Amino acid sequence: MSKRLLQLAWRNLWRNPRRTFISMLAIALGYAMLMLFACLLHGLSQQMIDNGTRLGLSHMQMHAPEYYPDRSLYHTLGGRAGTKLEDLLTTLTTHPHVVAAAPRVYGSGLVSGASHSAGAELLGIAPARELLISSFHTHLARGRFLNEPSTDGAGGTHGTNEVVLGERLANAITADLDSEIVLVTQAADGSIGNDVYTVVGILRTGLEATDRELVLLSLSAAQALLSLPANRIHEIGIITTSAAEASSVAAALESQLRSLIPARIRAWPELSPVLAEYVRLNRGMNAILFSIVFLVAIIGVVNTMLMAVFERTREFGVLMALGLRPVYLVGLILIEALLLAGVSLALGGTVGLPLLWYLQTYGLDLRNVMDGLSMAGVAIDPIWYGQHDFPSYVQAALGLTAVAAVSALYPALRAARFRPIEAMRRV
Amino acid sequence: MYTSPHVLVLTLLLLLGATSPAVSVTDEQRVYEIVDQVDQLLRGDSSQGTITMQIVTENWQRSLTMQVWSQGTENSLVRIEKPRKEAGTATLKVGNNIWNYLPKVSRTIKIPTSMMMASWMGSHFTNDDLVRESSMSRDYFITISYEGERNGISVYEFALIPKPDAAVVWGKLELEVRQDDLMPTWHRYYDEDGTLIRELTFSEYTLMGGRRVPTRLVMQPYDKPGEQTVIIYDDLAFDVPIQADTFSLRNLER
Repeated sequence: MSKRLLQLAWRNLWRNPRRTFISMLAIALGYAMLMLFACLLHGLSQQMIDNGTRLGLSHMQMHAPEYYPDRSLYHTLGGRAGTKLEDLLTTLTTHPHVVAAAPRVYGSGLVSGASHSAGAELLGIAPARELLISSFHTHLARGRFLNEPSTDGAGGTHGTNEVVLGERLANAITADLDSEIVLVTQAADGSIGNDVYTVVGILRTGLEATDRELVLLSLSAAQALLSLPANRIHEIGIITTSAAEASSVAAALESQLRSLIPARIRAWPELSPVLAEYVRLNRGMNAILFSIVFLVAIIGVVNTMLMAVFERTREFGVLMALGLRPVYLVGLILIEALLLAGVSLALGGTVGLPLLWYLQTYGLDLRNVMDGLSMAGVAIDPIWYGQHDFPSYVQAALGLTAVAAVSALYPALRAARFRPIEAMRRV
Repeated sequence: MYTSPHVLVLTLLLLLGATSPAVSVTDEQRVYEIVDQVDQLLRGDSSQGTITMQIVTENWQRSLTMQVWSQGTENSLVRIEKPRKEAGTATLKVGNNIWNYLPKVSRTIKIPTSMMMASWMGSHFTNDDLVRESSMSRDYFITISYEGERNGISVYEFALIPKPDAAVVWGKLELEVRQDDLMPTWHRYYDEDGTLIRELTFSEYTLMGGRRVPTRLVMQPYDKPGEQTVIIYDDLAFDVPIQADTFSLRNLER
């Protein structure tokens, strides 16, 4: 019987192609719209996390257990003995959820131009590795990013004493590209570390504190200035495959590395509660927006489905007069609705996918509308990229199917309660 | 038990009397004079000397030997002689300004006001300690908070509360001075919440440059137990003729 019903339902669908097509259009367009919306909202969320974590924070940070929150110069990974850095980085990057990892050294001191001085935060980085985990190099106002220090044939080193300065800091000490600046700091052995550096780049991140305080220099230069040996670093910044899973990956990595080195690995929500709070707020707003769009889609589907089934009350009367039991009648209409929804979703998906691909690849260019916006300490990109949000796609599909089924079921149940003769008399 | 009101009043008076003993330096003027004298003790109108500074922190310890020149409260110059790695590093103070000269990079750097509370050369003294034209008698209201014997020595203890318009960072100072020779024994620094921040203790009183002075000063920060900076005066001469260009940037970079 059920096979017969399925056959009947399928034929019914195409008996009146125009009516079916209108219903399909409502569901398919609604679905495509929901997918686009979910993709854009997810992209916004993702972009916010990205922008927030790519300027020094990174998805996870690995420190010596005592390092946080005092950030003492002396609490390096592996304590005074230091750590086998290359081995540790290799171990980290071979983890399936880790995309890249980069070592960092922090210090604070005095940066001095030709006539002015200012307090500064020093960040020593391994340039080639840092490129993979942060986006400092894409936020240069002028000049270039640090080069990996290299040894030339004559035994000299290039690129060791180069710095990239935050724009406001550079202005404060009236330094520009190719200026010579002096860094002075309290080194780890108690002496006064000081040396001359050449400014190769000016950084403009849009983040007030960073632009006013940051001095980027190579890891080896920072270690030399701070009298730290090459195996002593303060932090390893880590980028994972998914920012959303950073917390669980951090916990897993930490217990995995416990035998190797005593360390704490913190994910970005713990490192920057403000960013985490902001992302949560954004998610809440996205959920509300998505619900509104969903409601619009539902109204469209309910309307067309209700009308399509109501107008067939006469037909149902005839079917019942011919001996179709009401239960089967309702079943028939339910199957019709589900088939219709299935075909429509497939259609909507086919129409939507190229658009989603476009949004992910090229994004919405908002540069004409806004420029250099920053919200809650997070710089916002003027190009809005989409990001696949499969759970929302599935949710939308299931939701629309349910709505289609329910809105077909109501008039069907009503018709099934009539006596055949009454149903046939209705228009 | 019944106590007559008269007895009660008498007892109260006696108790009050006990907490404020008969002040032998009754003259308020004299109090300020004593504190002034302590202030000037290691300075004189001008001075020149050799100092050893031993710094002990949780993470490292080191010893610096340096030459110092001073003229009143306005000018001073410190030049490090040892260790060799830092020899020639010098600090010049003229009025409210501090410059550091770094021989490694041949640069003179003016210390910005934001760095005034930062440590001087890694010690437990701040740049501000150098700059401040500390005149305790000018910036503080001074009272005697204790007078009597402590550890077998007669001492005065002074409490110094900053005047409302004085530009000082401390909430309160306490200073203990020996009665017989008016030598300071310790100096305590409190913040505005009344928390003890650090203590400077004086010892090894020796005749140096024709004056009796404490030659060993220990600065003890209370928030970092186990850390301290010791200053030892190896030699010290007072009221020596000092060349006019001593406190100049050119001489700093010598």
